[in-house]
Amino acid sequence: MFTAGNRFLDARGIVFLVVLIGAAIVVPALALLPKNAALHMPTYLVALFGKYLCFALLALALDLVWGYCGVLSLGHGAFFALGGYAMGMYLMRQIGSRGVYANPNLPDFMVFLNWKELPWTWWGFSAFSYAMLMVLLIPGLLAFCFGWFAFRSRVTGVYLSIITQAMTYALLLAFFRNDMGFGGNNGLTDFKDILGFNVQADATRAVLFSISAIMLALAYLMARGIVVSKFGKVLIAIRDAESRTRFIGYRVENYKLLVFVVSAMMAGVAGALYVPQVGIINPGEFSPANSIEAVIWVAVGGRGTLVGAALGAVVVNFAKTWFTGALPEFWLFALGLIFILVTLFLPKGILGACGEWMGKWRKPSAPRGNGEPAIAE
Amino acid sequence: MTPTESAPALTSSLLYLDGVCVSFDGYKALRGLSLTLAPGEMRAIIGPNGAGKTTMMDIITGKTKPDEGEVLFAGSTDLTKLDEVAIAELGIGRKFQKPTVFESHTVEDNLLLALKAPRSTWATLFGKPVADQRARIERILETTRLQDFRLKRAADLSHGQKQWLEIGMLLAQDPKLLLVDEPVAGMTDAETAQTAILLREIAKDHSVVVVEHDMTFVRDLGVKVTVLHEGAVLAEGPLDVVSADPRVIEVYLGR
Amino acid sequence: MPGPDRLMSMNARARSCFRIMASALAAFMLIFSMPVAARADAVDEILARFATDRFPDTEKAIGDLAASGHPTAPVILEALAGNRLLFSPGTRQTYIGVEGASALDAKTGAKAGDVEIDSLKKVRLNNAVRAALQAAQGALGLMSPDPVKRRMAAEAVLKARDPAQRAGVEAALAAEKDPKIREVFTEARAALIALDPEAADAQKLEAIDAIRGRGDRESVSLLSAISGANKDRVKAAADDARAAILARQALWSHVQNIWYGMSLGSVLLLAAIGLAITFGVMGVINMAHGEMVMIGAYTTFVVQEVIRARYPGLLDYSLLFAVPLAFLFTGGVGVVVERTIIRFLYGRPLETLLATFGLSLILQQAVRTMFGANNREVSAPAFMSGSFEFGGLAITSGRMWIIVFAIVVFALLQLLLKATPFGLRMRAVTQNRRMASAMGIDTNRVDALAFGLGSGIAGVAGVALSQIDNVSPNLGQSYIIDSFMVVVFGGVGNLWGTLVAALTLGVANKFLEPFAGAVLGKIALLVFIILFIQKRPRGLFALKGRAVEA
Repeated sequence: MFTAGNRFLDARGIVFLVVLIGAAIVVPALALLPKNAALHMPTYLVALFGKYLCFALLALALDLVWGYCGVLSLGHGAFFALGGYAMGMYLMRQIGSRGVYANPNLPDFMVFLNWKELPWTWWGFSAFSYAMLMVLLIPGLLAFCFGWFAFRSRVTGVYLSIITQAMTYALLLAFFRNDMGFGGNNGLTDFKDILGFNVQADATRAVLFSISAIMLALAYLMARGIVVSKFGKVLIAIRDAESRTRFIGYRVENYKLLVFVVSAMMAGVAGALYVPQVGIINPGEFSPANSIEAVIWVAVGGRGTLVGAALGAVVVNFAKTWFTGALPEFWLFALGLIFILVTLFLPKGILGACGEWMGKWRKPSAPRGNGEPAIAE
Repeated sequence: MTPTESAPALTSSLLYLDGVCVSFDGYKALRGLSLTLAPGEMRAIIGPNGAGKTTMMDIITGKTKPDEGEVLFAGSTDLTKLDEVAIAELGIGRKFQKPTVFESHTVEDNLLLALKAPRSTWATLFGKPVADQRARIERILETTRLQDFRLKRAADLSHGQKQWLEIGMLLAQDPKLLLVDEPVAGMTDAETAQTAILLREIAKDHSVVVVEHDMTFVRDLGVKVTVLHEGAVLAEGPLDVVSADPRVIEVYLGR
Repeated sequence: MPGPDRLMSMNARARSCFRIMASALAAFMLIFSMPVAARADAVDEILARFATDRFPDTEKAIGDLAASGHPTAPVILEALAGNRLLFSPGTRQTYIGVEGASALDAKTGAKAGDVEIDSLKKVRLNNAVRAALQAAQGALGLMSPDPVKRRMAAEAVLKARDPAQRAGVEAALAAEKDPKIREVFTEARAALIALDPEAADAQKLEAIDAIRGRGDRESVSLLSAISGANKDRVKAAADDARAAILARQALWSHVQNIWYGMSLGSVLLLAAIGLAITFGVMGVINMAHGEMVMIGAYTTFVVQEVIRARYPGLLDYSLLFAVPLAFLFTGGVGVVVERTIIRFLYGRPLETLLATFGLSLILQQAVRTMFGANNREVSAPAFMSGSFEFGGLAITSGRMWIIVFAIVVFALLQLLLKATPFGLRMRAVTQNRRMASAMGIDTNRVDALAFGLGSGIAGVAGVALSQIDNVSPNLGQSYIIDSFMVVVFGGVGNLWGTLVAALTLGVANKFLEPFAGAVLGKIALLVFIILFIQKRPRGLFALKGRAVEA
């Protein structure tokens, strides 16, 4: 089940890619139909689906480290948020003098705080290319520094989970501070345009959706490439028996570090795509609960399957949308139950369970695998 | 540097332990253990529980650092300065007491991972398996009698097969020295006998240290025996001599 | 000392202070020389002088009134200071105006019914009169029968540093019996002497010693003033004393920081100690631990409300009832959770983490549904409110009791683990489950009870935290990360490590706060712990050896 076949793309992956590419074409087309057309898709739905895709990308990134390498990060929300902030800063710089205070050099909140000049952290963010570089570099660099220390000193299992949680918590506290220069409590919002296009416009939303779908597809291909390579086999080996892997001569810390950094960058891209579609980024995105919620998306879909992680993100968030509309009181009950029921009864997630069921149906006599992969140390 | 100074006198030994001590929270697991192993030699190590057998393996493979004492490999390399990976790269392979194979990988993939090849992230990410590697995997599958299970997940193997797979992985690493910890624990008699044959075959072109409780198995191996007791060597020599030693009988065999 | 007669002839404005000093001194002489009742008529005469509407008369009347010892004298002076002393130009009677347009007879303090308030005039004040008034009030305060007032008056003298009050202070000092107040008088007198340009150096040095003994913020500024007003030896002594006081204050501020740190540490300890059982000893990652604390706090609230409604007399003791009830209730919740969720997940810590996080969401929402999202008020019993001083330390009773409580809980827990059969069984199961099971220990039962114990202690912590934090559904969330940090920092499986870690982190936090700010200080600690775990992955007091790796 967990061994990815040697083929680069399996049937599941092909279906996934076809669906994504289809969505990237069909959704914008429907959104750009005239408003009175029967199949017209309202902008809010496009943005909502776009948001799901960003979460799916985050889940994919998380699955790469957790599902394949056994590193349960409870801090991936931080990488997501950092990517989001990098994009948010670019969008803030695009406002120019159209802000409330009409200051051509400073974002509104800085004028409000009586700042005289742009802090160095903001330099360069008016250039899109620089901002995009930061979307990758900042989460990547944080992941590198964090991972370099953590993996080298062999912090594993729940200890690692707890300190990744502490990391995102520390960032949460830091970004709440006004003097950090990232908008404090309110975060960054009131965006006007991106690359000269109005962020609010239907067409921009539609294009952003398509880009999200394409990025998710590309990330999937990349992740798939990683996991089917010998590198990916080493990752699984680390997950199953870390010290064994070390004793046969693999530098486990380098493997973990590389996959952690790649995963953090993917999460950063997800955050960067998320911000223009929801129109705001604030420190709340760093909250540890967000990161844990992302973990449950992966668990629901099935960890170590990539496609399942993306599926889980969409399913859980769709449920969230539905509940908060219909039974807002009960959403947390439902989410809590999902956490408990999935870990107790669906340890391999939706895809895992489906696969098992399919396997039984095809080969009723096939022996059941008794070797639960030891995800935990 | 002490290791290089003492090296000339020890060129003949592949593994050299001298006065190794280590303690955990006051409990002295090893107290002045000294041991030498000649190149190409196979050695059996016996001793009661808590004698320090596994700790000795931990020291040699870099999992545990000794408090004092010298551990030299191939005459001059100081193993206490290296970590597990570096030691593995030097050519010391280890088989754990509890069989640890990569359960969710196939038998073939397990061997592929263990196969002597570049271990860097770059090499594994972009490298392609070559025909020569296929052939070596094939040979090892044959030696360990696992040809028919090559595509089976390791988790689905029987206990004895897992032990062989692990020994096979050791062979794939092609180390200069193999450390084998209780290879026949939990095996049937037939499996035990086969394992002895397997190990003797391996010993033809590798140095091997075997830690074992099973005296029949040790007898089958027919090699020099070292008896450990309370973290130090109690006796050393052919099994017949050692098992006649009254001290050995008292601490180990007699009861 | 110059006699009053000679001074009278001098320029009034320049020398008013000397006059006032003299009159104050005279007042004391009088007080001690005659019985109060004998001078009833004299009082009439003094009061009449207020009615002449001339400043010198008023000034003199103030001194005489203070000296008369008349029972309403302080009230009259206070009314004068507040512009409420009135007189009738016709009858020359004085009255005290009160709100609601009525007047009291100044001499008797009784209500003056027959007088028309609009016909009365205010007794006017100028600077000289005000100065005399202040001195007289000070003098009256110094001689007041109420010790609290005497003390306040002496403190006022010390702050005002008005040389005119020296005589009054000296007289009061001579008469004072209470050693504590004597001390304040001595210090007030010392302040005046040290600033007196005419006093001898020896006297001044003695005075500086007295001020040094006082050692508060006021004495620092006083000593600065003394240092400025003097030269040579005295100046050096004052500087010395000031430096000594500052050093002492710095020391006390460290002690105070340590105290605050211990207070924070005890809160951390309470929050973390239950986790030290479930996570540290049993290896269960309970993300709902904070919610157990929260449930304990809500139990406290419910107990308080029930007692308020049924047995209001016991309200002050409601915490005493809440402690065992919170333990039992949250412990019960813990047992149920262990039996229904945790037990299926032993050996899978990451899954346990996820399941218990889900549980925490459910518990939060359940409490929100039942009690609402707003904060609930848990009142403090009398013995936990208020504060007191200990050396240079300000201690609030509530905080002190929480420290005591944390220590008691810790000690009881140690006792339970080390000295009871249950503790023995629990340690046996955590060390070697299979062996314990083979020895006939019901491991399922021990697991359930141990988890219940950890949860119950969390509930007990909730009782204490209800005193210092908002009782809201989010209460637990704010403690969960801190609690994990404490347990991990201290070394898993080691209760003493938890204790040391909680206190260390508490104290470090309080020492970081002054120059890093509360938030940055906290971030710094989080970063420190993250780095620390890299160095010592198993915490401060880690177990070593092979068993740990298993």
